[in-house]
Amino acid sequence: MDYKLVMNMAVMAGELMLRSGAETHRVEDTMYHILRTANAETVEASVMMTGIVATIGNPDMEPITVIKRVQERGTNLNRIMLVNEISRNYCAGEISPEEAYEELKGIGGKQYHVWVYNLATVMVPAGFAPLFGGGGMEVLAAAVVGLILALIITVGKRLQINGFILDTLSSLGVAVTATFLKQLFPFLDNDIVIISSIMPLVPGVAITNAVRDTLHGDYISGGARILEAFLKAAAVALGVGAGMALTGAFYIGGGLL
Amino acid sequence: MTLFFGVVGSFVAVAGFAILLETPGKYLPHAGIAGAIGGFVYLLGIEGELNVVLASFLSALAIALTSHTFARIFKAPVTIFLIAGILPTVPGAGMYQIVYYIIANDSAKSSYYLIQTLEIAGVIALAIFIMDTLFKVRIKKIEKP
Repeated sequence: MDYKLVMNMAVMAGELMLRSGAETHRVEDTMYHILRTANAETVEASVMMTGIVATIGNPDMEPITVIKRVQERGTNLNRIMLVNEISRNYCAGEISPEEAYEELKGIGGKQYHVWVYNLATVMVPAGFAPLFGGGGMEVLAAAVVGLILALIITVGKRLQINGFILDTLSSLGVAVTATFLKQLFPFLDNDIVIISSIMPLVPGVAITNAVRDTLHGDYISGGARILEAFLKAAAVALGVGAGMALTGAFYIGGGLL
Repeated sequence: MTLFFGVVGSFVAVAGFAILLETPGKYLPHAGIAGAIGGFVYLLGIEGELNVVLASFLSALAIALTSHTFARIFKAPVTIFLIAGILPTVPGAGMYQIVYYIIANDSAKSSYYLIQTLEIAGVIALAIFIMDTLFKVRIKKIEKP
């Protein structure tokens, strides 16, 4: 049995899953299953939100330990699904370790074209407006604001602006556009338009995953996720506040609320 | 009528969000349906003058049930349907309001939203846990000879 190959595969699978936003215990579970196929005496995988530690040891060899730091985190359900499939096939003995490793290496990132993401960024605000009690006009306004949001996000990503600043800039753009629309069409409900339009940015999934991790006993990951969620919310609220203050100064004569 | 628009809206919003979360293309409609069911239960609860937290709990239960059912039928991990589908219920707006009212120096409202958001996030996690456990129990019973 090639312990090193199994180890590398497990760490790679774990890193891919962690970067794609899988829950901590799911990552540990997958790594553990892969590592166990090496038939070693001791197998441990410890995953935290910011990194992975895994070790494998047998009486006939020096233990192998790998530490992997994971920097970027997003959500990519497709990658989670692919890793899951490969690891299940491998653990069932259907593919060899070499094949599994090559397949894991081949997993890519984006699966849609840029304009599909932009379309989605317009769909989300338009869809949320009725949930928050908006009528037809609010849906239209939210779609228009979503268009601006998509534009800012695409340009910002191309310029490789840091995540926190990009969230702030995007929500600033949302607030300014919404207030501008409100000046043109005074019957719009500004609050509904703004809250629906920031939905692609706010960390709703993050806070729920944070509580899920915490309930599962992964306190370090849970705490880190809560912190991340609040930081994201702060970026968005900062942007909206700044945008309202800016446009308020132009139209109403100052004031945040 | 509001209910109808709400359900259509949550379908569109969840399908859109599923794209942003890189859900595989063939499962986009399924995620949207899970979201629409969740939005329906949530709006029904709100119209029936239930507490927001209770409505969220029921809606999360419905979404988790749908996701588990879809996962069994279409042989895909539960997460694919669950993460996007849970979106109409998830307290994203609440997170924003907490920080917004802190910036606006209104600590009464910010602490109100803080507690509400934590409650909603808690009951959603609880609902997901309950469904996970129920489905595990069911499978074990079937496997017994």
